Amino acid sequence: MPVPVWRPYLLLATAVICLVVVLFPFYWIVITSILPTEIVLSRNPPLLPPLSEVTLAAYFEVFARKPLLTWISNSMQITAGTLAITISTGAMAGYSLSRFRTKAQQAMGFGLLASKMLPGSLIIIPFFILFSKAGLIESKLGVILANSATAVPFATWLLKGFFDAIPRELEQAAMIDGCNEWQAFRHIVLPLAAPGLAAASAYIAIVTWADLVFARTLNSKPDNWVVTVGLQSFTGEYLVEWGALMAASAVSLLPMLVLFLLLEPFLVKGSTQGSLAN
Amino acid sequence: MGARRQTYIAYGLLAPAFLLVAGLIVYPLYMVLETSLRVGRAPNVARLDRLPLGFGNYWRALTDDVVWHSAGVTVVYAVGTIAPAFLIGLLLALLLNRDFPGRRWLRSLMLLPWAVPGVVAAIAFLWMFDSSYGVVNAQLRKIGLATTDIAWFVHGDTALFAVILPTIWKCFPFFALTLLAALQSVPQTLYEAARVDGASPFQIFRNVTWPGIRGAAALALVLQGLWVVKDFDLVFSTTGGGPSRATQTLSLLVYEEAFQFFRMGQASAIGVLMLILCACLAYLAMRWGRKDFH
Repeated sequence: MPVPVWRPYLLLATAVICLVVVLFPFYWIVITSILPTEIVLSRNPPLLPPLSEVTLAAYFEVFARKPLLTWISNSMQITAGTLAITISTGAMAGYSLSRFRTKAQQAMGFGLLASKMLPGSLIIIPFFILFSKAGLIESKLGVILANSATAVPFATWLLKGFFDAIPRELEQAAMIDGCNEWQAFRHIVLPLAAPGLAAASAYIAIVTWADLVFARTLNSKPDNWVVTVGLQSFTGEYLVEWGALMAASAVSLLPMLVLFLLLEPFLVKGSTQGSLAN
Repeated sequence: MGARRQTYIAYGLLAPAFLLVAGLIVYPLYMVLETSLRVGRAPNVARLDRLPLGFGNYWRALTDDVVWHSAGVTVVYAVGTIAPAFLIGLLLALLLNRDFPGRRWLRSLMLLPWAVPGVVAAIAFLWMFDSSYGVVNAQLRKIGLATTDIAWFVHGDTALFAVILPTIWKCFPFFALTLLAALQSVPQTLYEAARVDGASPFQIFRNVTWPGIRGAAALALVLQGLWVVKDFDLVFSTTGGGPSRATQTLSLLVYEEAFQFFRMGQASAIGVLMLILCACLAYLAMRWGRKDFH
């Protein structure tokens, strides 16, 4: 049965229509952020923006009136700290699980399962108690540790899958040539696992950037707010400034969307190897 | 290279991750269990261990109408999100599995909502569904479907529906992604054989496609179901559980008990009951997924 010539274009048209619906909220965030308040607060907002009215006033306003840069800086430091802890420990543990037969396999499986089941709003209770006693309230380290809890088993499991795909013979050859185990791991295996490291980092960065419950509970002082906590504080105000809020949302979204588009092929690969999930 | 040296390396590499999991998952889990047996209120958490031990919190949780109401809200929220999100994800995966120009880019863009923080998704939908200035009400007025301003997130009858929408939006990409990966692993020869035998498209889906993706579908349903039940960000940032508990899921109830009323014990007990329920559901779903698979 020959496929009609127009078939791929019909499929393309369907996919484009789906895409328009899926991406509409992004479009609306951007539109609201670049239009003046009179148009934003109208009973009948235009679906296509009048180009002559476009203004960046909301962006200037939100940077001037809210400590958005501080929030973003806090988010970045917490994301970077979480990545440093989880990727380094996860890479070592994943390599060990991939290459050596130990009794730890099942324990790590339990860790992964527990990390998928534990609600943030429940595990925050012991974190709050523990960190209060340890003086880690109002500190970035506390939030970093809280975010690392569920990310470590995930990084381990995902990276194990990538290490499994690298043949052992490569390390054995390197060791015959005089490398020790560490050198073989560092110079032969890790570079080959770069896609895995990229996928795990992208995933963990996106999840950590999005965290609300740990950051708002452990760090309640406005100076220590991360970007999600800051954004959420807008909606509690009596009169929500939608233009400014959408401008701040757009700014906070940008780094993660770029990261996602760059690393999406690796994430897809990772999702077929490990159990990648929210 | 000695076997003992191998063992040292193996466990040495595992040690840091192991310590983190022990200190940040296992011990906190034990603390949740212990705290759930502490009856009473402790605004100062350092004095929590002076409270008497007992099963009072569990008894109170199981006989409290608020807990049962929240359990009901959680079920409606989870099923109301997962069923449509799964269907959308499946249809998109079937579409993206076909061959057409620009497919790779469309796939990447289609999955973007997954990378959006829950808070931002919540804010975007709050704005789009704003009663006076929201774009959704404006369009509904234009086509004559709404005569009054519908306060989607404020009205008790519509609030849960309104919270479900951004959750679906954040949830469907995961289904599309995992189901697409599963679809691509179904051997093409099976489709060809079915077509030669004169099977209809529906028969092909039922007898070739579905058995091939069933395991992946079950796993995705479990993981996303757990994710929705656990969700805090979306509900908290849209309605905060209101109006008058209409959208208060168990996850929000636990947080409110702990950090608004400082009943850490009561909160932990509700949380433990929630975990037990999740574990049972996950177990049943996984068994269903494995049945006649492989």
